[in-house]
Amino acid sequence: MRSSKIFSVWHGIPLFILLFFLAPILIILSSVFADYSENWSHIYEYVLGDYILNSLILVSGVSLIVMIIGSLTAWLVSNYQFFGKRFFEWGLILPLAIPPYILAYTFTGLFDSYGTMNEIARSLFNLEQNEMLFPNIRNIYGAIIVFSFTLYPYVYLICRTAFLNQSRSMFEVGRTLGLSQASIFLKLALPLVRPALIAGTMIVAMETLSDFGAVDHFAISTFTTGIFRTWYGMYDLTTAMQLASMLLIFITFCLVIERTSRKNANYSTIGSNFKPTQVTRLGSLGSFVCFFVCFIPIFIGFILPILEILNWSLRFNTSFFNEQFFSISLNTVLLSILSAILCTFIAMIINFSIRYKNSSVIKSINPFLNIGYAVPGLILAVGIVQLFVFLDNNILNSFELIFAYIIKSYALANSTYEAGYQKISQTIDDSARVLKSTGLNLLFRVHFPILKTSFFTSILLVTSEVVKELPATLILRPFNFETLAVSTYIYASEERMVEAAAPATAIILIGLIPIFFISQMIRASRLEKS
Amino acid sequence: MKNILEIRNLSHAYDQAGSIIKDFNFSLKKGEIVSILGPSGIGKTTLLRIVAGLEDVMDGEVIISEKVASKKNFLLPPEKRNLGLVVEDRALFPHLNIEKNVMFGISHIQERESLAQEYLSLFKVADLSKKYPHEISAGQQQRVAFARALITNPDILLLDEPFGALDKNLKEELHEETKKIFKNKDLSVLLVTHDEEEAKYFSDRIIEFQEDKIFIR
Repeated sequence: MRSSKIFSVWHGIPLFILLFFLAPILIILSSVFADYSENWSHIYEYVLGDYILNSLILVSGVSLIVMIIGSLTAWLVSNYQFFGKRFFEWGLILPLAIPPYILAYTFTGLFDSYGTMNEIARSLFNLEQNEMLFPNIRNIYGAIIVFSFTLYPYVYLICRTAFLNQSRSMFEVGRTLGLSQASIFLKLALPLVRPALIAGTMIVAMETLSDFGAVDHFAISTFTTGIFRTWYGMYDLTTAMQLASMLLIFITFCLVIERTSRKNANYSTIGSNFKPTQVTRLGSLGSFVCFFVCFIPIFIGFILPILEILNWSLRFNTSFFNEQFFSISLNTVLLSILSAILCTFIAMIINFSIRYKNSSVIKSINPFLNIGYAVPGLILAVGIVQLFVFLDNNILNSFELIFAYIIKSYALANSTYEAGYQKISQTIDDSARVLKSTGLNLLFRVHFPILKTSFFTSILLVTSEVVKELPATLILRPFNFETLAVSTYIYASEERMVEAAAPATAIILIGLIPIFFISQMIRASRLEKS
Repeated sequence: MKNILEIRNLSHAYDQAGSIIKDFNFSLKKGEIVSILGPSGIGKTTLLRIVAGLEDVMDGEVIISEKVASKKNFLLPPEKRNLGLVVEDRALFPHLNIEKNVMFGISHIQERESLAQEYLSLFKVADLSKKYPHEISAGQQQRVAFARALITNPDILLLDEPFGALDKNLKEELHEETKKIFKNKDLSVLLVTHDEEEAKYFSDRIIEFQEDKIFIR
């Protein structure tokens, strides 16, 4: 006999996992109270201003562009019928398959002074060898373009949902009050989805601040490149951690805004007298304009880099699939799948504990476990190295790397499981418990088989996310161990772009997995509405 | 005849603001069928969940087979109460076929397959044993849910609007069949319903929940 409120193993496991998840972050933050070295004084005096200014310019520029692209394309596909609309509904998220660092490498290959585009321009317009039609892209403005065109889908997705949930009646009233189509978008629809727009933009801001590969390739001094240089150049881990703490403060600021906005994201949405949006059929000119507006982001963020990688592949035709590529791919796939399985198991246990114990303590733990997605891979790596400073062999290094992947990807696995659990009626659990199925028996005899799809979806999604992760892998990988992301980075940093084609293609192909799932969800929501 | 279930001075509320069940006393005898009748949100299902051990009690006691099952700060878990539960949405396990659903609570018994066939036959669904819940009708699902609950030989059968989702003809047919089975097996049944006709037909006694009042008929 027992009390239902007793502290059980189902409370203990989540608490233990929380402790592990937060440890690297707390270690980083604790560095604020450590002694400040001469390196810190040097950084403070000469480069910290650049880090802050560049990060702010980058985040502001990217935020502005993604807000425009994301909201405009979402508005068009939600409210108008035009040529290619069905494709654009999911096609607009294709750039998510390409990590910013790969877009940066391909853009360098395309727009450098001797890049593909300038070569084409020279042959077309008979330009001299030193003449260029396309400007140099390896600067902060180029980085803004790169981040904007890979990350806008975050804003697009959240805005599309918000627009679809706006009631038609509101726009009909707007029209009777004399508003044009453009004014309805600017004065009614857009202000009403403001929380969603801000939430999406904050995710983009966090991703931009977290990036290492693209800014490193474009030689822009930001926090992440600074942390990396301080650690690997000055061999000063404490100062690197102090810099990381500053970046964490920026990220936390974005995270708080994102969470608050997400809570308010429904304030304009479905009410009791909701009437779904009526799609307006457009004439040829309108249809062409909409097609063009939606096509450009996909062209820049997906088609153009794919074409450049194909171009590299053709030039590298003799040994595209060599032994080294297969060995690296195997490393990547094994490591990613192992991390994905562990991460999914943790998400399963936590969500089961919440459901089984219905405890407010466990429920309140879950949001803290989710914050890993917002913490840059580089910062996690620094924290984990400090946490396991006593570990020093290849197997244990792999453990550190898997640990970083799990913290970074937990939110993805958790959201998949949460969605799955929402579909199981509480009466299933009640019936099972009355039939004497409890604890692990309930988990493996009832929940696991019912949530099999969530389990495998989560493994696929986390795998594809882990494959793309660069900074954590770069720092935590065991000696002489390469993954697809690291291999792409090494080739690109040695300016051997053509050889980066094989690993980059593999990353993009694996990155298409979540796109497939999101496109299925979009399709399902379309069927529901019709 | 001895009481199989006794509820003494039971009080329960979802929050501190107000109680939905206040100082409630009740007993159920062996072989007796009692209906709890009342409108939605009055606390009928909560009472059933308290008896099942799926909710804590704030005050009072629940005694099952002469043992305290719930009181303040104490709860005998549902799996140790030897109860059967049938709910409106049937709650059949979607990943198991009908036979495995029925065998779920008796997986430790060697003769589980023959026992499952016996109970499936009793509820006239033996021919569906290899089908999955989504492949059979709502009425057939409800028969399977009854078979699954009864096969464990429970001390008390708890029914939460079990016929609520069925059409009138099917409901009447199942009323007759199930009542006969319950009486033949001398089962103690606690039925929650908002349907007065159903309560009258089914029960030896009716407890009517109304706002601030409880009537016993």
